[in-house]
Amino acid sequence: MRYVNAGYAVILTLLFLYSVQLVWRRRRLDRAVARTASVGHGGLEPSPDGERGA
Amino acid sequence: MSTPSTAVPVHPAAPSATNTGMTPPPAQSARSRTTERVIGLLALVGTVCTVWLGLWVTPPDRTQGDLVRLVYVHPGVAWVALYLAFGLAAVSSILYLWPRTRSLFWDRLAAASVEVGVVFNICTLVSGSIWGKPTWGVWWAWDARLTLTAVLLVLFLGYLALRRIPAEPEVRARRSAFVALFAVLDVPLVHFSVNWWNTLHQGATVLNPGLTLKIHGSMAWTLLLGFVALTLVFVWMLLVRYRIGVLEDWLDANELDAAVAERQAEGATPAGGAGAGDPLGSGRDPGDGAPSERVGVA
Repeated sequence: MRYVNAGYAVILTLLFLYSVQLVWRRRRLDRAVARTASVGHGGLEPSPDGERGA
Repeated sequence: MSTPSTAVPVHPAAPSATNTGMTPPPAQSARSRTTERVIGLLALVGTVCTVWLGLWVTPPDRTQGDLVRLVYVHPGVAWVALYLAFGLAAVSSILYLWPRTRSLFWDRLAAASVEVGVVFNICTLVSGSIWGKPTWGVWWAWDARLTLTAVLLVLFLGYLALRRIPAEPEVRARRSAFVALFAVLDVPLVHFSVNWWNTLHQGATVLNPGLTLKIHGSMAWTLLLGFVALTLVFVWMLLVRYRIGVLEDWLDANELDAAVAERQAEGATPAGGAGAGDPLGSGRDPGDGAPSERVGVA
């Protein structure tokens, strides 16, 4: 049964880690697009640390 | 080139901060987000049910014992990788190369499908190897099906590597499509390998030549649920990965314009006037004593 458990664990872990990575990548890109779009349209969006045009 | 009389001269060809020629950022509709969440939720529920049925509800097999439980997920991940993901990549590549349907949409879809397919291909090889150790006594055998599946993984890793080479989107899409079509030729070889050669790998349980199901009762239903759940997982991953492709392409096309606009906006503010384009902050060219002429970022 340990081989069965190992098989399930490996598959589920790989799929879970890849899903998390996809969500993280998309969030990072969403933020980058919003920042770039705001710069391109004339408004420099303040960065989280308060500096302009972060 | 005439130099504007403002404190921070700019290159006349450089776009202004308010007129950069940028396309609007790609928005995702509320309906699309809802669809994605519903599919994600169904995929999660389906996967949990498959694991529960596979590990605790179904009985052990007469010959394989508990090892049969790996069969509820191993063919499912193989189905997604070989037939769904790489099949979709091949169809998308053909539609990109076909002049009437040529669109970067198909290229992005192929790229997303291959990346997700590679993850499922790795799952196929690893789960198969874990099943093989107690059954065959070895983690790996140079069996036709196993070897061809490993070759498939290498081919599509090459596809992903090729896409990382900087190129115009159309050039990248065209050569990627050709590579995908070449790589996918391995899929029928993997499928028919158990019929054509005397392999160690067992024959197909579902997609065999006679399409006769060789598994019954709760085992068959669990196997079917595994196929459905993993297909839903694939669809959800594909939607998210496609969206990532859209965002990356938009950033590639607009980041430079935005950087120029940002630089100009910094220079236009009084605080940044004298030293904005001058690393020394003096506003003067240190070489000839004349005011320096700054140009926009090319």
